[in-house]
Amino acid sequence: MSESTLTEAPGAHPSGVGRPAPAGRGRSWLRPLLLVLALVVMLALPLYVEEFWLRTGFAAAGAIVGAIGLNLLVGTSGQLSLAHAFFLAVGAVSYVYVSGEPGGLGVAELGGLGLPPIIGMIVGVLLAGLAGLLFSPLAARLRGIYLGVASLALVFIGIHVLNSWTEVTGGFNGRSAPEFSLFGFTFGNRDPELYVLAVPFREAERLWYLGLVLALAAYLFARNILRSRPGRALQTLRDSEVAASVMGVNVQGYKARIFLVSSMYAGLAGVMYALSIGSIAPESFGLELSILYLAMIVLGGLGSVNGAVLGAIFVSALPLIFQRYADLIPFVGGGGLAAGEAARFLFGAAIVLVILFEPAGLAGIANRIAGRSRRPGGRVTEHPPDTPSRSSEPSPSDPPAQGSTT
Amino acid sequence: MSAPGPDTDVRSDIPPVLVENVSVRFGAIKALSEVSFTVEPGTIHAIIGPNGAGKSTMFNVLSGVYRAAEGQVRFGEHRLDQMRPYKIAGVGVARAFQNIALSAGQTVAENLMLGRHHLTRAGFIAAGLRLPRATKEGKLHGARVAEIAEFLELGDKLHTPVGVLSYGDQKRVEVARALCTEPRLLLLDEPVAGMNAEETHRMAEAILEIRAGLGISVVLVEHDMGMVMSLADRVTVLDFGRRIADGTPAEVQRDPEVIRAYLGSGDEIDPSEAAEAAAAGASSSETPGMPS
Repeated sequence: MSESTLTEAPGAHPSGVGRPAPAGRGRSWLRPLLLVLALVVMLALPLYVEEFWLRTGFAAAGAIVGAIGLNLLVGTSGQLSLAHAFFLAVGAVSYVYVSGEPGGLGVAELGGLGLPPIIGMIVGVLLAGLAGLLFSPLAARLRGIYLGVASLALVFIGIHVLNSWTEVTGGFNGRSAPEFSLFGFTFGNRDPELYVLAVPFREAERLWYLGLVLALAAYLFARNILRSRPGRALQTLRDSEVAASVMGVNVQGYKARIFLVSSMYAGLAGVMYALSIGSIAPESFGLELSILYLAMIVLGGLGSVNGAVLGAIFVSALPLIFQRYADLIPFVGGGGLAAGEAARFLFGAAIVLVILFEPAGLAGIANRIAGRSRRPGGRVTEHPPDTPSRSSEPSPSDPPAQGSTT
Repeated sequence: MSAPGPDTDVRSDIPPVLVENVSVRFGAIKALSEVSFTVEPGTIHAIIGPNGAGKSTMFNVLSGVYRAAEGQVRFGEHRLDQMRPYKIAGVGVARAFQNIALSAGQTVAENLMLGRHHLTRAGFIAAGLRLPRATKEGKLHGARVAEIAEFLELGDKLHTPVGVLSYGDQKRVEVARALCTEPRLLLLDEPVAGMNAEETHRMAEAILEIRAGLGISVVLVEHDMGMVMSLADRVTVLDFGRRIADGTPAEVQRDPEVIRAYLGSGDEIDPSEAAEAAAAGASSSETPGMPS
């Protein structure tokens, strides 16, 4: 076929055979520079913006964690799940119970272990993961919409438990979430009182940094997974289970593991949600929350980590912003629509537009603006060094619609 | 039994494939009934037959996708008919699909790296945290993948999404991905279906080189009779789920049962002419890419 022949000795080659040089020397410094710049802005933000934006930012960070987790399951692996709200609830309730103090009065007597919040957070993540793992055998047998409907049951079970298990969940009225703290440093308004450049760093400022760290960690972990062995296995089993298993992928095993990972993400998102609101209540973890998370990843772009981030910011921040600026936006507030409703109308319209015109979602739009060719999985396509002219080759910037393959 | 070509160096760790009385049923329909044949180590063994003869069913049994109702498939000490597909990949059986089953959104390199799945270990934690062993493993296997891609003339397309490649290129990615598993037995399901004459020729040469360079066994389902007859050391002919002939290409070409299967009835036709007609008819009348 060619002058090169194939021999059976693997590994006996000069390393780096055929590996691409970093694409485009001229712009290789631009990306890291922009990332560093963005990070600096994020870090400095609490010095300049008011509390509302920081609180919105933390809520968005929680949504980012949850959306990345759901996207690993739905977008990357093709397992439709409507149970995300349930796993968030498991995380949130575990945190509140493990780290909360016993108390309450009369009928609503509350239990609580009073352990350090970091323990509560870890237990929340682990229990949510365990719940996902217990559900995963069902996921191995059902596909597509059937799995979605089955997972729906978890949401209703969750609501029922939240309403009735008063000692743990606070019942119908819910219960407040303990402040987060780490090694004696409280993410609250005092204890210790903190000033940075004469700006008081109170709960909102401190939570902002917590959200930043957690969201960044969740982001990097997911991206690394997608770019390596497990990520390739998951994407292949989404596209063809038969092909994946014939190539050596234990399909059932991977489905179980991604359910575990995804629900651990949801558990962390649940803990962050409880911290963001300051309390938990049954009605927060209904079907609507699952739908909102699905909206995030569809809007952002299925299978793309960047897309999950963009979609989460859009969906979680928009109602808050509408609420705050209701008097400035036409038709919202006063005699018009409520802020939440207005935001929902906008999501609906945005989802229809995205599905019609840009199945790769917000991530696809962002890539177009950045002028990059990218595959739907969210990774930049590296160009081999010998093809510097971008116009001469078929542009992969219009990959086949990702949504249609799931 | 036919011997492999003179220039072939058969690896010592390659056992024969023994297919013994395999039957497959779908409800009341018998897709395969009591089919037996042996793939000798280091040979190219073709399975041919008209549409619906059970060739792809046989492949699905060999790769564990279908369970045989009766009979057994032995590969060395392994009973392939009792193993899950991903375990079969682990003992060195690789398959290239007829209707391309690649991930269109992933690049060629990523699709090929999937072939290294059972040779690598990185799990969610190692990959997610980018532990050194995961990174090192990826680099090491990436080099071998690049080499296999180079061999199948895909070296310059490693970082192109598979979805934008031409049909012929995608077929070669299929074969390359199967090769990336470092197989001892390579199952090729119509590797040249839908290819033009030039591409077919190059693929045939590649298959010969794979056998010569790696010394592995190759089982081939193919409609292109010219290719089968020139490549295969041995041919098994199926018709309506039964084995109707098994032998060298020359033997099966003369077999009256084979001629009848391809031409309907061979009563008054001279056998040698009929064989040629069968070969020509089979290679031109079959619609490429149609499931058989």
